[in-house]
Amino acid sequence: MTIKEKGYAHWDGEFLDKKFPWWPITRYGIKLTFKKKFFKFIFAMSLFPAVVFLAGIYVSERLEDFQFMVRDSMSFLQINPHYFMTYLTNNFMLFTMVIIVIFCGSGLISDDLKHNSLQLYFSRPLKKKDYFLGKTTVIVFFLFIITLIPGLVFFIMKLIFSGSLKFFISYPWLPLSIIGYSFIVTGFFSFYTLFLSSLSKNRRYVAILIFGIYIFSDIFFKIFYDNFRSSYFSLLSLRANIQQVGAYIFSQNPSYNIPWIFSFLVLLCICVLAGFVLKNRVKGVEIVK
Amino acid sequence: MSIEVKDIHFSYGKVKALEGVSLDLSHGAIGLLGPNGAGKSTLIRILLGFLSPDRGEGRVLGYDIKNEQSLIRRYVGYMPEDDCFIPGLDAVSFTSYLGELSGMPRQEAMKRAHEVLFYVGLEESRYRRVETYSGGMKQRLKLAQAIVHDPKLIFLDEPTSGLDPQGRKEILELILDISSKKDIQVLISSHILPDIELTCSYVVILDKGILVAQGDISELKEIRDLYEIKVKGETEGFLHRLRDIDCRVEETEDGILKVYMPPGHNRQEIFRIAAEEKIQLRHFVKSQTSLEDLFAKAVGVD
Repeated sequence: MTIKEKGYAHWDGEFLDKKFPWWPITRYGIKLTFKKKFFKFIFAMSLFPAVVFLAGIYVSERLEDFQFMVRDSMSFLQINPHYFMTYLTNNFMLFTMVIIVIFCGSGLISDDLKHNSLQLYFSRPLKKKDYFLGKTTVIVFFLFIITLIPGLVFFIMKLIFSGSLKFFISYPWLPLSIIGYSFIVTGFFSFYTLFLSSLSKNRRYVAILIFGIYIFSDIFFKIFYDNFRSSYFSLLSLRANIQQVGAYIFSQNPSYNIPWIFSFLVLLCICVLAGFVLKNRVKGVEIVK
Repeated sequence: MSIEVKDIHFSYGKVKALEGVSLDLSHGAIGLLGPNGAGKSTLIRILLGFLSPDRGEGRVLGYDIKNEQSLIRRYVGYMPEDDCFIPGLDAVSFTSYLGELSGMPRQEAMKRAHEVLFYVGLEESRYRRVETYSGGMKQRLKLAQAIVHDPKLIFLDEPTSGLDPQGRKEILELILDISSKKDIQVLISSHILPDIELTCSYVVILDKGILVAQGDISELKEIRDLYEIKVKGETEGFLHRLRDIDCRVEETEDGILKVYMPPGHNRQEIFRIAAEEKIQLRHFVKSQTSLEDLFAKAVGVD
């Protein structure tokens, strides 16, 4: 007899008091991102710089074997905090992060708004913070794979290839810098993406916003900088602000002659604004007044 | 009591949505009736903890609606009125995902998702992506996600809206099965009165945010006796005298008079007035008051 003929049957299991009730949201978010067209290719490409930098670490320890290759690249192969900063804050890496968050984050909230699914989430024993954590962790997952994990792997591989702890003793704070920077840049992109995703029900508009704001903030900065020659205009650029904060975290000279804290405050303000908007945009019920 | 609310008030800005609603509900299937803007959906949203009442208190399944929303939502199923789904997922993943969010273990949620999809009749299409579903299939899917975690109480908001007659019949059969044969309580908000009459034994009627009637449908219907009569002669005086004794009289298109006798009056009075007004009674039948009559009376429309 089929269940349809038997009638409704009770479930005899027991509910779990989950420590991370948001985890299914993250798991399904990651699963759905991988189902997107071209994402696997884009994501694989985003790991290419990591492979190049890792090869650089290997070559730096075998310079005598690779003399024919590295004649003009000796300065690049100095493995120090600058090398790590270059990997994590270079323009291409930041651009790659934007592309990744477009794929994994543009629809995270906008799809729920479009398909009225917020009420499905909030009719379950989920709090708003669980919902946000679940969605944020999707972005965190992908960005950590191209920031935190390669950064730490580079550090470990440098120790393995050199066969001594000299590098660690010289820069004991470097792992913390990698972790700190990865958290800041990932946290910023998570807020930035979720904020824009909550502004529209159309994921394409959100994707355009994520890309457009990032690119145009930089274009405006360059226009103003070329005209007025003031480094303070770098505060207009998301890219420049992230790089300024990155330079401070890795104890390097910043690219622009302004205090790093200004850039940090700009990023923080964007995150606070995003948090405020998200709190008001994401509700279990849409109230039509 | 499964639902117990006292003196609930709620406003959307200056618009009062609920004013002093008090309810004690513990019956199997309860119909929540009211015209548009009566406050039905607002009441359900307050019971689920989506909205916090401006005044008043309440408990659902013994849990406080202001402080224990998470526990309420664990044991309550909700089928929203609007089309809602998560794009990119097939029906099994969708249902199991929502089961997991309710606190079910992952594998149990998946197993149960298959079961409830079979139960609602989506077994053939359970691996299809939900955005390709027709309106009727989406309604069934919404019901499946509402029951996947085996709730003790289910809120169904307009469960048959947008369905063809066959689809409507099938959904109503499922609701009847859930509410009548199992120990699950169902609160159905609908403006389709025959659906409520078919599935519910108890009804709550709201109008402009105020509770205007509640009780067993059969008891409420018996408050007034309804007689259908056909008469010959000058009816003006006859109707006037019936209204004088507080009868409500409606005339149908085919000339039948529907006379609602107020409590405490006897049908003999109709015969007496007819005789005194020299009216011939050609047809006299005691009829059933419909839920429609009850609803119209409660909200004060003809």
